[in-house]
Amino acid sequence: MTSLLEVEDLSVGFRTRRGVVHALSHASVTIRPGELLLVVGESGSGKTVLAHTLLALLPRNVDVSGSVRLGGQELLDLPPAELRRVRGRRMALIPQSPASSLNPVRKLGGQLLEAARARGLREKQARTRLRELLAELGLDLEFIGGRYVHQLSGGMQQRVVNAMALVGEPDIVIADEPTSGLDADLVDATAAQLREISARGASLLVITHDLRLAERLAGRLALLYASRIVEVGPTMSFFAGPAHPYGRELLRALPEREGKSIPGLAPELTALPGHCAFADRCPDRFDRCGESIPDLYPAPDGVLARCFVHAER
Amino acid sequence: MSASSGALRSSLNIGARRSQRLAQAMQRWPVSVRVAAGVLGVLVVVALLANVIVPLDDTAVDLDRVLDGPSAAHLMGTDEVGRDLFARVLHGFRISLTIAVLAALAAVTVGTLVGVLAGTMGGKVDALVMRVTDVFASQNHFLFGILLLVLFRPALGGAGAVMLAVGLTHWPSLARIVRGELMSLRERPFVSAAIGGGASRWRLARRHYLPHLMPAVGLAFVLTVPHAVFHESAYSFLGLGLPAHEASLGNILADGQRSLLAGGWWIALFPGLAILTAAMTIGTLAEYWREHLHPRWRSELEL
Repeated sequence: MTSLLEVEDLSVGFRTRRGVVHALSHASVTIRPGELLLVVGESGSGKTVLAHTLLALLPRNVDVSGSVRLGGQELLDLPPAELRRVRGRRMALIPQSPASSLNPVRKLGGQLLEAARARGLREKQARTRLRELLAELGLDLEFIGGRYVHQLSGGMQQRVVNAMALVGEPDIVIADEPTSGLDADLVDATAAQLREISARGASLLVITHDLRLAERLAGRLALLYASRIVEVGPTMSFFAGPAHPYGRELLRALPEREGKSIPGLAPELTALPGHCAFADRCPDRFDRCGESIPDLYPAPDGVLARCFVHAER
Repeated sequence: MSASSGALRSSLNIGARRSQRLAQAMQRWPVSVRVAAGVLGVLVVVALLANVIVPLDDTAVDLDRVLDGPSAAHLMGTDEVGRDLFARVLHGFRISLTIAVLAALAAVTVGTLVGVLAGTMGGKVDALVMRVTDVFASQNHFLFGILLLVLFRPALGGAGAVMLAVGLTHWPSLARIVRGELMSLRERPFVSAAIGGGASRWRLARRHYLPHLMPAVGLAFVLTVPHAVFHESAYSFLGLGLPAHEASLGNILADGQRSLLAGGWWIALFPGLAILTAAMTIGTLAEYWREHLHPRWRSELEL
């Protein structure tokens, strides 16, 4: 099957006073139509940068190289006018923290309508679509429309931004940390909503550090560590047994498993080592790990892992 | 829509007409705000209808009645050339308020434009514009205003020059506020969410930046009006504003200062009271408005 979104050899670096922060190094992933891809990693591993690069939401002090193609069209270096036709219409973002992603001084009705209009819908069409969409999410447009964002509960706010993302019927929805700061009930509800979005036929890219959410959503999973993808494959095989030692240690750190945290810290993104970035913390480390950066090698069950253990095979 | 949710909606005050909402809001006003709104309302109506209320000519000289104290015929007495002071104060109030409103409008326009320019362009434009703003702000604005008056009074006339002098000296603080507000707005998540949703620059400015700027701009306007009344009065008092024969609160005060030594206390008292009342009522309303600008604070205050 052909890919919908192809990210190839994508590197993102922020020029700062303390040197270049390598937020993303040579990342390659693809998403097929209707597929769900989870991008998992701890904070600072480059997850959100990936989402923001896809939508060109990065600040000016940034260097991007590589390629991002949506349905064959190159998105990097797209002129602003064309970029606007992609954003929201073909690729929509469910932003991190709905409460601060909605304008606090305007009523939600106006914001919802405007989101629909920005995606090219006419006033009447927009109203009908929004009414249907919100009803599916268990909300009433009239009720929501007359309110400000602070007058809604966290779960309702989440559904409002979901509706905004879906109103343009995008091919791909990017959810950036959809469960940050939510309690267990809302995580369940969010997972259900994301699965529903996926069931509508849209591809879904979910950025999260929440492994429990990842396990619930299934699909495929890409694990990021220190700006690189270290493992990519079916989510279920990751939870059955990660191919990369970092993935394995990460799962062991979960409280319901062993609750044993990984010793040491991830390397500084301004000074990434010329060898495997996880080598210093890796219990399986051998000589080669301290010499060069491993490629993504095929591991069992259709998984790719950036570890020399699999190069030996 | 079922009946019960309709009742819920009306009890939650959704979809109520603007006038109904205003009426409801007024019921919550504290006494001080109600009094201020009432007094200011009367003052404005009186100023607008000055000609109807006082049929007396405010420039009619009556040398038989020079420096008469307040009486039934002349409610506020007469001045040193026998003009009716009540008529002069009303006309003066109207002229001073009109000049003040237009001057404040000019100041707010300049301040907003400069702030938007600096806040949206950033970088070198921002640095340059803000340094120019610093230069304006570091001057004594009253003296700078006098310089502008001297320069432009011949061309624009007294009233026009006063508006220009106040307008060109009272924008820096608003420009800084607008710039700062824009700088912080640009970093807010809902702005990048809107960009990510395909919003254009124009839509962003109109739908997201402007609603956040309006309270600051509106408040700056309201607070500049009484300040501009002071300035107009002060300039006219010094003889730099309106021509001496035209009634403005400042001109009447200047006459009053001369008459004080002759025992005519009322000539300074009544225009002074008018200035004080206007400034206090506008100030009270602005203060209340400031507390209620943000929808979130509003609903917290209403609890």
